[in-house]
Amino acid sequence: MSQSIPAVSQSSRKLHFSVYGKNNSKVSDGMSTQYPVVDHEFDAVVVGAGGAGLRAAFGLSEAGFNTACVTKLFPTRSHTVAAQGGINAALGNMEGDDWRWHFYDTVKGSDWLGDQDAIHYMTEQAPHAVVELENFGMPFSRTEDGKIYQRAFGGQSLKFGKGGQAHRCCCVADRTGHSLLHTLYGRSLRYDTSYFVEYFALDLLMEDGECKGVIALCMEDGSIHRFRSKNTVIATGGYGRTYFSCTSAHTSTGDGNAMVTRAGLPCQDLEFVQFHPTGIYGAGCLITEGCRGEGGILINSEGERFMERYAPNAKDLASRDVVSRSITIEIREGRGCGPEKDHAYLQLHHLPPQQLATRLPGISETAMIFAGVDVTKEPIPVLPTVHYNMGGIPTNYRGQVITHTTEEGDKVVPGLFACGEAACASVHGANRLGANSLLDLVVFGRACAHTIADICTPGEKLSPLKPNAGEESVANLDKLRFADGNMRTSEIRVNMQKTMQNHAAVFRTGKVLKEGCDKMDAVYQTLDDIKTFDRGIVWNTDLVETLELQNLMLNAVQTINSAEQRQESRGAHSREDFKDRMDELDYAKPLAGQVRKPIEEHWRKHTLSTVDPKTGKVTLKYRPVIDNSLDAEDCAAIPPAIRSY
Amino acid sequence: MQKLITQVSTQLACCCYIRTEAESRSASFKYLRCESGTCIILGHWLLSSQQEQSHQDSAVTRKKDTMLSVLVAKRLVSGVCPKSLRPAVAELVTTRGYKGEAPDDSRGDIIEIPLPPWTEKDGETMDIKRRRLLFQSRKRGMLENCILLSLFAKQYLNTMNEPQLRQYDRLINEPSNDWDIYYWATEAQPVPDVYAGEIMDLLKEFTKNKDQEQRLDAPNLEYLDKGSQ
Repeated sequence: MSQSIPAVSQSSRKLHFSVYGKNNSKVSDGMSTQYPVVDHEFDAVVVGAGGAGLRAAFGLSEAGFNTACVTKLFPTRSHTVAAQGGINAALGNMEGDDWRWHFYDTVKGSDWLGDQDAIHYMTEQAPHAVVELENFGMPFSRTEDGKIYQRAFGGQSLKFGKGGQAHRCCCVADRTGHSLLHTLYGRSLRYDTSYFVEYFALDLLMEDGECKGVIALCMEDGSIHRFRSKNTVIATGGYGRTYFSCTSAHTSTGDGNAMVTRAGLPCQDLEFVQFHPTGIYGAGCLITEGCRGEGGILINSEGERFMERYAPNAKDLASRDVVSRSITIEIREGRGCGPEKDHAYLQLHHLPPQQLATRLPGISETAMIFAGVDVTKEPIPVLPTVHYNMGGIPTNYRGQVITHTTEEGDKVVPGLFACGEAACASVHGANRLGANSLLDLVVFGRACAHTIADICTPGEKLSPLKPNAGEESVANLDKLRFADGNMRTSEIRVNMQKTMQNHAAVFRTGKVLKEGCDKMDAVYQTLDDIKTFDRGIVWNTDLVETLELQNLMLNAVQTINSAEQRQESRGAHSREDFKDRMDELDYAKPLAGQVRKPIEEHWRKHTLSTVDPKTGKVTLKYRPVIDNSLDAEDCAAIPPAIRSY
Repeated sequence: MQKLITQVSTQLACCCYIRTEAESRSASFKYLRCESGTCIILGHWLLSSQQEQSHQDSAVTRKKDTMLSVLVAKRLVSGVCPKSLRPAVAELVTTRGYKGEAPDDSRGDIIEIPLPPWTEKDGETMDIKRRRLLFQSRKRGMLENCILLSLFAKQYLNTMNEPQLRQYDRLINEPSNDWDIYYWATEAQPVPDVYAGEIMDLLKEFTKNKDQEQRLDAPNLEYLDKGSQ
C-alpha cells in the first residue's frame, strides 16, 4: 500500500517523500533524492538502549506490550557499559540501614533542588529494584554469607548524616554497567522486544501537543522509518560532548534533549553539569581519585603543590568540587602548564614504581596511551572534566514528561515519557551522588513501564497520523547530506566545545558567561554555513556526526544561557560573583521572623529552557521545586538547610 | 546434612535460587550455580519446603530456617559435578586489579543469559563493510575505546584486505563488554584464542604508542574527504 506525496520544494533540491508499507525498505546507495519511508506500529517505542532504555523496554515487553527499541548503538555498547561503580540501595546487608537515610543523603546531595517526591520514590524502590535485578540473573558480588556485598561511596551516611559512613553500593566487581546491560538485554529478548539497532532517531512525531511516535534513519540502508506508537520513552543519555573535555563517549550527544526541544517542549536545569577534577587533558579519560589517595599530587607550572594553599588539611584529597575549583583558579591566574598554559599536572613519579604497578594498574597504561606520558618519569596533564548532566527532560516521578505554566502548574505531555540521564525527574537536583545514577536508570526505566501499563492496554488502536508527518526531519537530513557551505562539521564542533569549556566550566562569572552566550550564538549561526563531504546514504558517519552536532548545539545554547541567568551558587553551578545559595529563606540564620521571598526573588527553582531552532534564541522560565515527599507520614520531607559535610 | 541433590536440570541457560526468609525486609537470594553450566537445586532441606515455578527456567525452594553458607554449598556442588562437564568458556577470572573492594566476579550473567550469537553480515561489499566498520569504530561504549579504535581505524581501516576486515569486524562487534577489548589491546588481560590474530597484534602494537604521540581525541572525519586532498 503506497501513497506518494507531491514533491515538496522546501529547498532548491526537489525532495520526494513517499510512504510505503512495511516490507519495502531497500534503497540503493546512489545519489538518489528519493526517501522511501517505512511505517511501523507498536504499543510502545523506546529510544535508546542503555540501562534506562533496556529496563523500560523489558518492563513493557514483560507486561505484554508490543515494544520497539530504537537505538543508534548495539545495546551492550551503550555508554552505561562505562559505569564501573555500582547501584545504591538500602538493603542493610553490611550494617543496619533505612531507605529514609538514603533519601536524606540524596536530598542533601542535590542541594535542595531535587524533587522530594521523585527522590522518595527512587530511594524507597531501590531495594526492590536491586532484588529484582538479582532475580533477572545479575551476578552481584557477594559477602561470605551469600548476601549482596555493599561498599561505601561518597555522600552516603547513616542516621540522617549523624551515623557515619553507610555501605550501600551494590556492584558486580568492576563491571556493573556491563552486567546490567547484558542481563536486561538478554531477558528482554525472551519477551520478543523488537530491536532496531543502528537506527538514528531524528525527531518526535508530535501532533496537537501529543507524541505519536518517532522518525528514524536506518544506517544500514539509508531508509527512513516512522515508529508510530501511543507511548514513546526517551532514554538517550547525556550530552557531555558539548564540552572540549569530557569523560563521556563520543555517543553522548543529547539526542533526546534536542528532539524534545525541536518539538517545542522545555528542558530542565541544563546549567547543572558535574565536573570530575582529574580527567586527562584533551582526551578526557577519567584518572581515578585513587591516584591522589595513593600519594599523587597536583602541581602547577611553577612546580608548586598548590592544593596546600586551597585546602591546608585535606590538600589533594579535598572534595571534588573544591579540587576542581582550585585547578581552575590556578589556570586562570596564569600558572597553568603546557604550551597554552591551560591544564595542571598530576605527578606520580615520586611514588615507587612497584606501588604504581600494583595499586594503580590501569593508570600507567592510560597515561601512555592517551597522553604519551611515562608516569614513572613525567607528570600527567589533567583538567576538571565534564562527567554527568543532572539536567534533562522534565518528568514527574512516574516518568511522564511535563510542561509547566504558572496558571496551571505541571501538565503531562500525553504519550511521552523519559528516563535515565536524559530525564530530569529531578532526583539529582544540583549535584549527583556517586552510584545514584545506575539506580536512577533502573528505577525510572521501570517507572515508565509501570505507568504505561497503568494507563494503556496492549493492542490499543492508534490515532491517525498526518500522512506527511516527519517531513521536516527528512528535509533537514537531506539538507545536511548535501550541505556545501564553508565551515566543516569538525570546525563548528570544536568552536562550540571550546566556547563551552572556556565560558561555562567549573567556575562561572557573569561577564565570562555573557561573552560565552554571545560567542555561542555566533557559533550557532555558523550551522547555516556547514559543509559535509559524504554524499552517500548508507553508513554515512559524516551525516550522523553532523546530526549529532545539531543536537549538541541545542543543548549547549540552553546550558550556557541558563547558567548566565542563574545568579547564585548551588551544587555543581558555582558562580564567583554570587557565591551563596539564594533560597526563599536564609537558612544560615534562625528562621523565626524571616519573610518568605516570592519565587521571582529567589533561586530555589528549576530552570525550564526552550529554543527557537531557526534563530538559536533561548527563552527561560522557572518552575518550583517539589518539596513534599509521596507520603508525609511514611517519610518526612527534609526542609532545606545549609549543606556542609 | 540431608540429602543434597533432588533435581538436576540440564538446561544451559538457567538460574537457581534458594530464597531465605531470614530477613524480614527483603528476601536475600543465593545462587547455586555449578561451574558445568547445569543447575543443581538444593532442595528439601527442611520440613516445609515448597517448590515454585517462578521463571520458565528456574525453580525456587523456600526454606524456613537458617541459610546455608555459600562456601559450603559451593564445595558440595563442585564435589558432585564432574570436571568433564565444565564447558570451555573463555578465561573467566580477571587478572586486572579492581578499582574498589568487591570480591571476585563469577561472570554469571555471561554464562546464563546467552545473547544471540554474533553472525557475519552477508552480501556486503568491501566498501560498505569499511563504511560500517568506521561508524562502529568511532561509536563505542566508553571514551577510551572511542579514541583508540577511531585512531586505529584512521590508520589501518582503508588498507585492510578482506580477511583482515572480517577479523576486525568480529573483534569489535562480537565481545559483549567493551572493556574487554580495551584490556586485550592494553595487554592487561590475555586475548581469547578466537580473537587472536593479525589484527589483534596490530591493535596491541598500535596501543603501545611507541611514538609517544599525544592522543587527545578521536580524529575528525575529514581525513576521508577525497575532495580536499
